[in-house]
Amino acid sequence: MTDCYQRIAAAGELPAGKILCITVGDREILLCHTAEGYFAVDNQCSHAAARLSEGKLKGHRILCPLHGAAFDVRDGCALSRPASQPIATYALRVQDDGIFIRLPPDEG
Amino acid sequence: MTSEIKPAPGEARAGGPSIADTFASDAIAPPAPLLESAYEFMGDGDIAASRYTSEAFFRREMRDMWARAWQWACREEHLPDVGDTYVYDIGPYSVIVVRSGQDRIEAFHNVCTHRGTRLLDSEGSGYAHGFTCPFHGWSWALDGSIETIPGAWDFPHATEADHALRPVQCERWGGFVFINLDPDAAPLRESLDVLPDHFTHFPLERRRIRLHVQKRLPANWKAAQEAFMEAYHNFETHNSPNGGNTQYDVFGRFVTRFIHNIGTYSPESLADYPGEKWRRPTLTEEEILAGLAVIGVEPRELAAGETARSVAAQQLREKLGESLGVDLSDVSECLMLDSIEYHLFPNMFLFPGVNVPMVYRFRPDGEDVDNCIFDLLLMELLPEGAMHPDPPDPVFLDVEDSYTQVEELSWLAPVYDEDTGNLDLQQRGLKGQGKAGITLGNYQEARIRRMHLTLDDFLAIAAQSTDD
Repeated sequence: MTDCYQRIAAAGELPAGKILCITVGDREILLCHTAEGYFAVDNQCSHAAARLSEGKLKGHRILCPLHGAAFDVRDGCALSRPASQPIATYALRVQDDGIFIRLPPDEG
Repeated sequence: MTSEIKPAPGEARAGGPSIADTFASDAIAPPAPLLESAYEFMGDGDIAASRYTSEAFFRREMRDMWARAWQWACREEHLPDVGDTYVYDIGPYSVIVVRSGQDRIEAFHNVCTHRGTRLLDSEGSGYAHGFTCPFHGWSWALDGSIETIPGAWDFPHATEADHALRPVQCERWGGFVFINLDPDAAPLRESLDVLPDHFTHFPLERRRIRLHVQKRLPANWKAAQEAFMEAYHNFETHNSPNGGNTQYDVFGRFVTRFIHNIGTYSPESLADYPGEKWRRPTLTEEEILAGLAVIGVEPRELAAGETARSVAAQQLREKLGESLGVDLSDVSECLMLDSIEYHLFPNMFLFPGVNVPMVYRFRPDGEDVDNCIFDLLLMELLPEGAMHPDPPDPVFLDVEDSYTQVEELSWLAPVYDEDTGNLDLQQRGLKGQGKAGITLGNYQEARIRRMHLTLDDFLAIAAQSTDD
């Protein structure tokens, strides 16, 4: 695995349809296991900073528990108000028995 | 001179075997409700075209019917966990349906009690620990009780009682969650007519949503759903030989039904149709079987005594039984093959069949008299003991999109394209016709008339209470 990718979970650890919050440094990453595979996004809602890990994954949408804003975990875009700004997404690879994400260079 | 005695209005039927005749020759009799028939003549006057085109009529419908009628909002499996929500929109109204407790599903107006902002933005499923208005941050618990008024010092006049979310009546039947915006509406049961009795034989609680397609259609919501209430159009719209022998039932003010046999047809039912198609020569049983290849039946030569219908039903019992994980060996030909369609006023269609297992919903697209939204669900049988999987998100199609874009619809896709392909022509025609109304067949289009009569009941009750 290249340097900028970091192992965050074991493959198979997270059942399909479920989410897992992982702390990497001072950053919270939300790992989402959808029917289309794994996706990693910031755990913080772009609207009022609620933790998305306290919300729910429905299909490919992560739903914020505070105001019900929805984000597409595949590309981070905001799907419903009150959120209008996207959330960050992370490049992700599944290799061997691990799930790896690429963090910005200063944090990798 | 001999005079032919004409049947009384509504008593005439197409030639050939009736649905009951077909059932009598099937190997397995259908459940008792499918052997019932209920029809009575309800008049033959034209239906005013303005009911489909007039903005004023649309506003009356919205105020006096949609705001007072029970209507299906979502399925229970949209709300498996406490905090799961479903927003349902009808005209200008928006309703939040929420699982507020393990065994409790409630509904509220999707409106902030402060300055009227919608709390949840778009229709569909969601999840929240409570509701917070995105404008000033007033918040409510899942049960609708107010939790927070930021700057409460300025609102000494805002009481908890006045600022709970406004409740909407909410009841469940058959795995569906219904709402009624009228706080004084009679219980749902009174609007279901025979459905609870009939559907004990084919429980919809034990179905899963396999596919949900939502499409915008270029017609008034009534014109759109009426395209699905009769099989009279089969010959012209679908180039299909069978439809004339369909049975139509009117069980009450709210529930009607048709049963349309598949795997059989009668040339006699086409006696006065133009041309000789399917009459000279008639279709052989083998040709009928070959025609069923689209629904997954394997064509083959038939032995003496075998019929297309019996062979098709048996093939589907085995094939679908295996793919669904359900024992279908004792299921009647009727439930295996036929298009059995119940309609619940105002806008819900329920199909108890196995191979034709849909649920439909038609409603106005916002406050637009000329466009509507058609929700189409495929409701697959669940194996015994299986839990409901998460329902799929809807696939959205716009007016110009074809159903063939949705691969999972398979053989149904071109059929729906045909069904919806006439709507734009009809809506435009209704606006410009030189005739004030549409004319309905006494029997084959009776369900449409029943729907309009019940709509009139709602409008009349509202007019009466205004007069009072």
